[in-house]
Amino acid sequence: MKPLLQVENLSLRYEMEKQNVLSSLNFKLNRGESVLLLGPSGSGKSTLTSCLNGLFPRELDGEMSGNVFVHGVENRETKPGERSQAVGVVFQDPETQFCMMTVEDEVAFGLENIGIAHQEMEEKIDSALALVNMLPYKKTDIATLSGGQKQKLALACILALKPELIILDEPTANLDPIATRDFISTLKDLKNNLNFGLIVIEHKLDGWTEITERVILLNQHGEIFHDGSIREVIKEKGQQLKEEGIWIPRVTEHILREHPYLQEPPLTVEEYRRNPVLLADREIDQPIKTESNTVPLLEAKDISWTVNKHEILHNISLTFHQGEFVAIVGANGSGKTSLSRMLAGLRQPTTGNLLVHGKPIKQWKESMLRQEIGYVFQNPEHQFITNTVYDEVAFSLQWKDMRPSQVQEKVEEILDTCGLLKLKHAHPFTLSQGQKRRLSVATMLIDNQSLLLLDEPTFGQDAHSNQELMKLLHKKHQTGATLIMITHDMDLIHDYATRVIIMKDGRVVEDCSPSELWKGDPEKLEAWQLTLPVAVQLKNIYEEEVNDVLTTT
Amino acid sequence: MFLQRLNPSYKAVTIIVFIIFLATIFEPVTPLLFLIWTLAVTFLFGGVSLKKYLLYFTPFIIFALGMLWTSIAFADTPNNPSDTISLFGTSLPKESVLTALALSLRVLNVAALSLMFVFTTNIVHFILSMMQQLKLPPRIAYGVLAGYRFLPMLKDELMIIHDAHRIRGVNQAKTMREKWQNYKRYLIPLLASAIRKAERTAMAMESKGFTGDKSRSFYRQFSIQKQDFIFSIIMLIGFTISYLISYQLG
Repeated sequence: MKPLLQVENLSLRYEMEKQNVLSSLNFKLNRGESVLLLGPSGSGKSTLTSCLNGLFPRELDGEMSGNVFVHGVENRETKPGERSQAVGVVFQDPETQFCMMTVEDEVAFGLENIGIAHQEMEEKIDSALALVNMLPYKKTDIATLSGGQKQKLALACILALKPELIILDEPTANLDPIATRDFISTLKDLKNNLNFGLIVIEHKLDGWTEITERVILLNQHGEIFHDGSIREVIKEKGQQLKEEGIWIPRVTEHILREHPYLQEPPLTVEEYRRNPVLLADREIDQPIKTESNTVPLLEAKDISWTVNKHEILHNISLTFHQGEFVAIVGANGSGKTSLSRMLAGLRQPTTGNLLVHGKPIKQWKESMLRQEIGYVFQNPEHQFITNTVYDEVAFSLQWKDMRPSQVQEKVEEILDTCGLLKLKHAHPFTLSQGQKRRLSVATMLIDNQSLLLLDEPTFGQDAHSNQELMKLLHKKHQTGATLIMITHDMDLIHDYATRVIIMKDGRVVEDCSPSELWKGDPEKLEAWQLTLPVAVQLKNIYEEEVNDVLTTT
Repeated sequence: MFLQRLNPSYKAVTIIVFIIFLATIFEPVTPLLFLIWTLAVTFLFGGVSLKKYLLYFTPFIIFALGMLWTSIAFADTPNNPSDTISLFGTSLPKESVLTALALSLRVLNVAALSLMFVFTTNIVHFILSMMQQLKLPPRIAYGVLAGYRFLPMLKDELMIIHDAHRIRGVNQAKTMREKWQNYKRYLIPLLASAIRKAERTAMAMESKGFTGDKSRSFYRQFSIQKQDFIFSIIMLIGFTISYLISYQLG
């Protein structure tokens, strides 16, 4: 029997580039089989998607050689639009993959394209929505759905067409941990009931190993460097994975950090439960002593914010001292971003006061305030204002009384720390995701603000650039700066934060140190849509097991 | 409500036909009566909220008043200057006043007809029905729909960029010129992200099998029914009555 998908010698080069994005790819996928396709950003993963679903070479500006067969039929031999029935794709960005207003219309869109009769549509829409548990949202406006719901809707749109191969292009990159878990478990159920081939394109592995253990690994040059079991790769090529910027499961990473020679490291928490090994408590760098008797850096007194009669923030009082590393967490729409904008003085609260160094924020001159408080936005591009990397960093110094030679020295020093010195003449928009992120942080570091707010800075970044970023932030924290970071990443909080603030429905519901939070009521965490960090989960399991052993003997 | 249930394309065509009818009328009575008729139909069969309607209608009233004044003040020399009427204590040539009134009432009437359409029509349904009844190519129709989804996204994005640039210390613009320069600065990030988003949406649409081909089925089907004809007849009756009364009055 012919395999479902066969890729032969696939190479692709874009018109304006010298190097191939994909080089000589060869792989097969059988009916009903699943595979994880991993690679760092810029390894041509998304390009491959377009090759598989027949968009390329038709829509390609560049050259493509080699063949892609689905059921033995080459993509070039199909008519436009025909492939979409056999190969369905869920894309990374939940915001931009829809063209209709309501859920039902969006599912119908695909059915209309292939000319399904009007009478059959309703039933097909209902069954597709039911598959992903989205039936109650049938009449809902797409704009009001959460990111996780949008991705499930995208999946339903594809399922309605009954494809034999589903490609998920980083489907959870823009989702929080709970939504990610939910999406993966929905998919797992589907996989058990329906017989479709599945390709999951990802740069992090957590959760996906429950669906399949076959992985195809791409390197930065778009070549396959491994096709086989994930366990083999971790055993044989662990170092290479790290260099390529691919996240191995966090559980595995933690255990390998302590036991680098372990032969069969567990991939999930469940596997660890079966065979726990001792893990030492990791020392968290002691934060710089905060002197609570000095004037607090930033003080929010009873602030509320109401927009269009809709209360977004409700009576929030918080005090931030110098040297803290604060994490703000909470479900989407809980008011985290609004709070951070308010703390940065970008929005005025409806009631309540904000004091910076004990002085009301309204009495601060805008330019003085900006030298105290920096803010890193979620999308780095939003912050770029000049045409070169160098100017971008130097821009922040233009109001300072500095000699040109001093400016140059300082800019180059910062660029060097952020690993951007070689790119100083490049246009900010041409950088890679990770470089853009580092540049946006660099522009904030140079001013030496005492307070830096960050809105989910690790979002959509690969493992390597995330590490680089956290290194930078850690360094900044060590100099005594205060960092306030919005994040969904509990491991990050565990590793770096000195204080956690939990938001729910516009209120602060918890404000404590991370270790206190981990010890708290697990049900509460669930209600706040939070998970325990991997390190804590593993530690708890180990302690449980040891206790079991102690009580049974 | 009745107006909401009508076929959007048919409604649009009917309204355009009556706007053309109005353009052929050069005396003030017909547009005045037909304006009253249109307003009555809008409120009786459309259930439009008065407050919202006034909010959108007021600018047209101001515009119409302005037009009235300018057309009287800058009118051509009348053929019969002795025939005057007295208005606000001044005597004005009757002919100019009537032409001016006709013009401004026509403006108001066109506005009322357009608002009747806007307030009772779902824009998405209008586009879908244009594809089905008026043979609008799907390529354009779905392009417009996708773009329509983008508008609120762009607005949010502009806000974020504004904040982000303020953080960088650029937004101390006081004069109009500086503000204009700031907006120019927003343009690159805004365009970059809009282009990228549009490209992604296009990819997603294509991978759902969209080819722009005209042979497609429709989940929401729009057809022309008896009620659509009733609507045209109601409007026609209104227009005829207005015209006849005006004819009677001379």
